[in-house]
Amino acid sequence: MPTIDQLNADFEACKGQLKSYLLRMTASVEDVEDIIQDTYVKAHANITSFKGKSTLKTWLFAIASNLARDLLRSQKRWPENVTDICREAALSNRDFLGEMMGIRMNSPQGNFEIKEHITFCFACVSKSLPLEQQLVLLLKQVHDFKVKEIAEIIDNSEAMVKYYLHTARQKMIDIFDHRCSLINQKGICHQCTELNGIFNPKQDAQEELVKIDMVKKAKDKDKEQLFDLRLDIIKSIDPYDSPASALQLRHLKHNKEVMDRHLKEK
Amino acid sequence: MRTLLTIMMMTTQLLANGQAKTEKKTFSRETTVGVNIEASSQIIWALLTNAADYTRWNSTITSMEGDIAIKETIKLKSTLDPDRVFKLKVKEMTAGSRMIWASGAAPFFKGTRTYLLSENENGTVNFTMSEKIGGLMFPMAAGSIPPFDKVFEQFANDLKNEAELISNQKQ
Repeated sequence: MPTIDQLNADFEACKGQLKSYLLRMTASVEDVEDIIQDTYVKAHANITSFKGKSTLKTWLFAIASNLARDLLRSQKRWPENVTDICREAALSNRDFLGEMMGIRMNSPQGNFEIKEHITFCFACVSKSLPLEQQLVLLLKQVHDFKVKEIAEIIDNSEAMVKYYLHTARQKMIDIFDHRCSLINQKGICHQCTELNGIFNPKQDAQEELVKIDMVKKAKDKDKEQLFDLRLDIIKSIDPYDSPASALQLRHLKHNKEVMDRHLKEK
Repeated sequence: MRTLLTIMMMTTQLLANGQAKTEKKTFSRETTVGVNIEASSQIIWALLTNAADYTRWNSTITSMEGDIAIKETIKLKSTLDPDRVFKLKVKEMTAGSRMIWASGAAPFFKGTRTYLLSENENGTVNFTMSEKIGGLMFPMAAGSIPPFDKVFEQFANDLKNEAELISNQKQ
């Protein structure tokens, strides 16, 4: 059985990863804070039940995943075209646009970078996957857990983890292939370059795009590889601590509010 | 007894080669296909019961609506007859081993689709799919119902490929 000091040390060590994971699951900074706090309280209270069959990190992710699932199970999943719906809502909301511009001008973490928007977009679109698929995709492809560890985290078989992972990947590859103009000239979504034009009016978007491996390799048309390159970008960015985190977190809050309203009306 | 066992083993082998077989009678017709799959029955079952995902891996289904759950009705379109919507009710589901879909109404015309999964001793899973159509009206309609054999073989092949692809992913 680990000591409380060990628990505290491991909790602090993986807290950043846990927060990123939960933010992409919930799209809510407030929910993340609640779940993080509850995760620690539960771990502390049940430390005697930890038998060491997995690492403490895996155990903490299992507790946090269960809390997130309890919260999200009753909520509807977002639609695949979430970014279209939220774009329309943003364009008709002058207060929000003004606030975003204020963050861009004044916040030290208010930069706009296309790479950061790619991670923001991934967070929104992945909420269209069935809950278990999203969870497994994030655990495996963003946080590098092994299939066996994920099976422990979600309390399911390795076979089902593989099934969720495969179906999640194929669905996301298909969505981005149809939507994302960065990898498909016929893609209907140009939001990252559109926003780059608004927030960085003097910057040449094409010069920025050629720095991104996923865009450079788009002509190769290997969809699996393009998705892996997209995941590399996502893994490289901490949504809580990046040059654009203030701007992106405000944008995510906006999209969550729009989606809550949209799904309620539906 | 030995003869019966031999017949049963031969039948299983026959049903595991991916080739469909059709038995025709005056008032019914039954098509069956079987294949051995090197994947967990959980993966195969998940593929067979996720309606929203069918068109991604199954080249014989062009659309599927509804939930594959007991007493639910699903609407599907197949390459067998692309313009027709087949409405099927899920009659029976035993997780990981058996599922039955049905359409029509006895005694006039009824279709029953049965999916069976059974684990082989070597760790593979035997998948069998059969559909029996029949009833009092069957002799009049039989000529206009296309053969199922090719579509069944394709279905079984697609399922095998997808399940084995998933099973062979990196750990």
